[in-house]
Amino acid sequence: MIRTNTLRLLTASALVMSLSACVSVTSAPAGPYKVGAATVTLGHEWSDISAIMFARPAKVRLLSMDGPLLNRLYVTDGLAPGEFMVKPMAKERPTPTYRAGMAPTELVEFVTDSVAALDYQRVETDNLRPAKVGSAEGLRFDLKAKTKEGLDISGAAQVAEVGGKLYVVLYIAPSEHYYAAELPEVETVLGSVKVG
Amino acid sequence: MPRVLRPRAKGLALLAAAVLAAAPAGAQPRAPHLRPADTSDEGGIWALSEKAELAARQSAERNRDPALNGYVTGVVAKLAPEYQGDIRVYVMDRPFFNAQMAPNGYGEVWSGLLLRVETEDELAFVLGHEVGHFSENHSIEAYRALKARLGATMAVQFAVAAVAMGAAVNAGSAQGASDIMRAAGALNDLLYLGQLAAYFGFSRENEVEADGLGFQRAVKAGYDPAAGAHLWRSLIAETGASSFKRVREQEARVSIFSTHPLSSDRVKALDDLAAKTPTKASAAADRKAYRAAVRPHLAAWLKDDLRRRDYGQSLALIDRLSAQGEDLGVLTFYRAEAYRQRRGEGDLELARKAYAQAGAHADAPVAAWRTLGDLSLQAGDRPAAKTAYETYLARAPQAQDRWLVEASLKKLSEGSAT
Repeated sequence: MIRTNTLRLLTASALVMSLSACVSVTSAPAGPYKVGAATVTLGHEWSDISAIMFARPAKVRLLSMDGPLLNRLYVTDGLAPGEFMVKPMAKERPTPTYRAGMAPTELVEFVTDSVAALDYQRVETDNLRPAKVGSAEGLRFDLKAKTKEGLDISGAAQVAEVGGKLYVVLYIAPSEHYYAAELPEVETVLGSVKVG
Repeated sequence: MPRVLRPRAKGLALLAAAVLAAAPAGAQPRAPHLRPADTSDEGGIWALSEKAELAARQSAERNRDPALNGYVTGVVAKLAPEYQGDIRVYVMDRPFFNAQMAPNGYGEVWSGLLLRVETEDELAFVLGHEVGHFSENHSIEAYRALKARLGATMAVQFAVAAVAMGAAVNAGSAQGASDIMRAAGALNDLLYLGQLAAYFGFSRENEVEADGLGFQRAVKAGYDPAAGAHLWRSLIAETGASSFKRVREQEARVSIFSTHPLSSDRVKALDDLAAKTPTKASAAADRKAYRAAVRPHLAAWLKDDLRRRDYGQSLALIDRLSAQGEDLGVLTFYRAEAYRQRRGEGDLELARKAYAQAGAHADAPVAAWRTLGDLSLQAGDRPAAKTAYETYLARAPQAQDRWLVEASLKKLSEGSAT
């Protein structure tokens, strides 16, 4: 049973996004959730809020339980060199871009700078560790940040390069209650990434 | 410098000189410790400004270093002793050149500005400019002029929208960010100061008048008369170095300057004023003193500046700051970071050289060695990669990526790293 209150979710969403008449929040039921070549397994139903999220490229999907201000789970298809997680709003204000040949720490930087481009402040990483994504070597790390209003945010991220493309799973939520509430589910999702 | 001074620009130059020469004749400075009646138009604008101030005080972007805030407040106190207690300036960590002051005396100075000024004299000129808007009630003047022209209802809508924009910037909603980015995308950072300098778009005359008042306040407080013109000139040069054609070309677009004097006019008017005033001789010592005040934040502000991803501007700024000969480990490291992140043709090799140069200075961030290792490995220079990684581990034994660097070293020793 989904915990999301759809009305509350939409109300919260409306505060931070432009809604058009032809987009909607949909269900992402428990089980396999496919984003292009990537598939993750959801342990319970989420709301797919991709269609109403601001500055989202087509290869990035966004799930939430309680609304985008309270928890966000980004899952990307493979980003090719030159692609990004956050769509730039103007040519003069580019967002972080994935490039071929990035060192592992540059992949971490790509994610943290993307989180900063989503308007989070003072983004820091911790606990960088190896991760397996299928047969590929990936990286896991934790994040700390703040909203502009000063709310503490925690995050968990995983990146892996497969076939020259970058696959990212990123979870961010307020440190108080919301982050821990979904962390066991997110750990399962992070461990379930399959490519191809 | 602007590449074109068009006939209309020459007219604006004359206007700028005339307004500066006249300022502050005819002006009626605000009385110290004034608080307008709640029921007055100014009282209403104060109430809105107080809400924006509350948001700024609570913002995660607020720099809470007491030494830095105390330093900035001290400069304001020297410039405007009569308004002691009336003006409150908060330092905000935002990588754009901006200072602003609301009608209620709440002001902000952004880290992008503090990073770019080179002396306390230049900071004093900008803060004096903002005090000039405050003391001359430019916001209220603009509101009343608008009210006379458009009628009370429209003017109130304008005031609410203008203050709300300031509040949104502080509140940090996605829409607020969007407004910032639109403003910054449509204007260069120099104009950004003018546009966001307060909650109202000041008239061209108000801006020039505030330049003149800032100059007068700064000189009266003992600051260098040439500082204002030097700062504007530096910013014009940096704008001209932008990676983006649109930003570079905006300098010469007259339509963008429709409500503000061309930067070159403001520089010339300030040059003319400075020429009539005895100059200060201790610029090098002043630069050292100012750098000492901002040094604890230099690395963080440079990192923030790179997140604007206008590497042309960042590199021009780093060149300018490096000319002082101090903080070369930090500055050269961020020069290397700019090349690495830009990744244009030849940039990775430039980055590699710059990381190595940074490493020769004691203040270089330890990450210089890890990144030098990564880039040397990519370039096929295995001995250099090994040395850099080993230096990194020796200098940062507790690094969270130690396991990653050790794995790279292991592959190097096995001959399998590429």
